[in-house]
Amino acid sequence: MVHVDDPRGKWSVSASEVMRIMAAAEWRAAPATDVLASLGPVPWVRSRRVLVLRGARGREIALLAAGALEIADVDPGSVLPLPIALASTVPQISAIVVAPDASLSLLIEPSAVISSSDTVVGEELCPSPS
Amino acid sequence: MVREIGGPVTWIALPSANANLPGVAAWRGRAVAVADLAALLGAGERLSPPTGRFRTLYLQQGASTLAVPVDTVREPLTIADGDIRPPRVRTEAFCTGELDVEGHTTLIVDLGMILDGHRLAVAGGLH
Repeated sequence: MVHVDDPRGKWSVSASEVMRIMAAAEWRAAPATDVLASLGPVPWVRSRRVLVLRGARGREIALLAAGALEIADVDPGSVLPLPIALASTVPQISAIVVAPDASLSLLIEPSAVISSSDTVVGEELCPSPS
Repeated sequence: MVREIGGPVTWIALPSANANLPGVAAWRGRAVAVADLAALLGAGERLSPPTGRFRTLYLQQGASTLAVPVDTVREPLTIADGDIRPPRVRTEAFCTGELDVEGHTTLIVDLGMILDGHRLAVAGGLH
């Protein structure tokens, strides 16, 4: 699993979903998605990276990683699915990961992340009459 | 309803979460929602991750469990129904009554209503 130690909250993504990791300055496509945007502005960190994930139908999903990266094995028993009451409100988070030091991390569900380059659902099917 | 009274809880904020249920914690091998009483009551300092307050109440509401960080837990009280009067200090739905404890007006709060209200809000948002 790839962990991102963002000062706003640690988050993680399954390593099998990550296609490549690159410096944010080298990412030239649509702006990378900040999965913690609603928790505050992107904090200042020494280096920002972009995690490029495998999306549906071969699309790439770029997530902004503001914080130190760590790649580590995770015991499946340490991955706890979100309670039902919360799962539907934050579909982009599928679980929390409990680290050996008891700190917590949000496990990102790439298929539920809407990137800035994604087409809005229905946009192509219902064009404006004008 | 109260399953356990524990120490400070480690929790993590969820993006786009409701202010009353701002995040999650791990408890007994599963993730549970964290409730912020300060946000709910509109008084006091809001919770700030990663730690909660000095004590944590773990409440069971149906199939759901709620972790509620609090400053202090004093003692369980046995209260006669006749001592409970309709709420006047606060009139929100989750305030189900009030009574006098050692000369202070004390609210009786139904925290399960937070979860129920959250479910209704989510269901409303989906329709």
